[in-house]
Amino acid sequence: MDPVIEMREVSKYFGSFKALNNVNLKVSKGEKVVVCGPSGSGKSTLVRCVCRLEKHDEGTLEVLGSKLTKDEKSTLSIKSKVSMVFQQFNLFPHLSVIDNLILGPTKALGLSRKDALDRAYTFLERVKIPEQAEKKPGLLSGGQQQRVAIARALCLEPEIMLFDEPTSALDPEMIAEVLDVILDLAKEGMTMVVVTHEMGFARKAADRVIFMDKGEILEENTPANFFKKPQTERSKLFLNQVLNH
Amino acid sequence: MNFHIRLYAFLIFFLLTGCSGESGNWGWYVIDPSTKSGWTNIKFLVAGFGATILLSLIAAFISIILGLIVALPSLSSNWFLRSCNRVYVEFIRAIPLLPMLFWVFYGLPVIFKSLGLQVEIDAFWGAVITLAVSDSAFTAEIYRAGIQSIAKGQREAAQTIGLSYTQTMRYVIFPQALRRILPPLANQFIYIVKMSAFASVIGMQELTRRANEIVVTEYRPLEIYTLLILEYLVLVLVISFGVRWLEKKLGSNESAMN
Repeated sequence: MDPVIEMREVSKYFGSFKALNNVNLKVSKGEKVVVCGPSGSGKSTLVRCVCRLEKHDEGTLEVLGSKLTKDEKSTLSIKSKVSMVFQQFNLFPHLSVIDNLILGPTKALGLSRKDALDRAYTFLERVKIPEQAEKKPGLLSGGQQQRVAIARALCLEPEIMLFDEPTSALDPEMIAEVLDVILDLAKEGMTMVVVTHEMGFARKAADRVIFMDKGEILEENTPANFFKKPQTERSKLFLNQVLNH
Repeated sequence: MNFHIRLYAFLIFFLLTGCSGESGNWGWYVIDPSTKSGWTNIKFLVAGFGATILLSLIAAFISIILGLIVALPSLSSNWFLRSCNRVYVEFIRAIPLLPMLFWVFYGLPVIFKSLGLQVEIDAFWGAVITLAVSDSAFTAEIYRAGIQSIAKGQREAAQTIGLSYTQTMRYVIFPQALRRILPPLANQFIYIVKMSAFASVIGMQELTRRANEIVVTEYRPLEIYTLLILEYLVLVLVISFGVRWLEKKLGSNESAMN
């Protein structure tokens, strides 16, 4: 199957710091990839390059068949087809939940307000909080806010969903409700790249686990093998720390 | 608020009556509404409100628009646009108001003339241009600070849901920045009202000019300038209350926001 994300020798610099170092990665349609690794290993930069919040400096990156370059025009070809869920939710605080959801569909996709509302309520029900539609995001719990953020991303009906540590800013008891929503999505066949430290989620949902350190992909493995016999010393150490804390 | 009103009332009462004495050097008669000449003087002085208000309003309006136009390049990732903004702000901010007023009123017509243009600049528009341009450097900085204070994640989220730069600004950044921009912008408006007094030196018939003219004929500077100060105080207080009201309206859901 044709990959929907293909990275070849991709590097990214922040000043003289090399955040991504010759990264090669293919993600096929419908695949769920979990990216893990210690902080500062380039996981976030990897997904941010895919949705063009960062622009890579070297190598080639193709998303949904379009070659992405530093040229802004290349970004347009994947506009609203790649959605992102952030660690800090990044909901728009001045808009109600429902207005957060319809902003993209009405302004970026050109949907009518009515169609956008229909779509928004469908996804609010999917994330199980239709009753919060009229509230401002600030009144919601962290878990609810992140579920709204997921619904907002889904409202664009994207082909790829990226998650950048979606549960890292949540209280422990709220992690499950968010992971459940993401698991449901995974079952429906959405292509997903999830940066997370939730190894339980990786075990349950991932087709592949990618382990990164210092901007490089050190290991690419099935979840079963990754947890049973990690291939590098670095990933062994990492797993020990994450699983036995 | 009650306390404030009482404080101001006391201040006004004190200024008008407290320091006057029958035998002293006070001459409140120049602005005594019970005498015919006093009442004429008061009417003449108060008639300056119209010009001061109109001058300030137009200047503030232009400054708010101009400031935004000047601020936008400062948010660009293009260094050339950013430095255009820097040069404008640093240059305009460095010119004191009075020299700029002289330059616009006496100098600008010469430039127009040498270009073969028949443009007359009267005292009113000379003052409007000067106040607006001088203030635009400050409003531009207020816009920039307000917009930059909105977290980077907001812009990123807007980008990932497919909004263009203009849409991001219009629907996400400006509405949030507005509440932070409004109080300092109101401050600038008060500043414009006060600085409009400079227009008196080029012959604009506003509050200060009129006060000066009465002082020349009556030779009662203390009494007349006291009234002048009170006139500005009233004006500024009205603006302040208006802005408070507007802030409250805009910030009615403040607790729901972060």
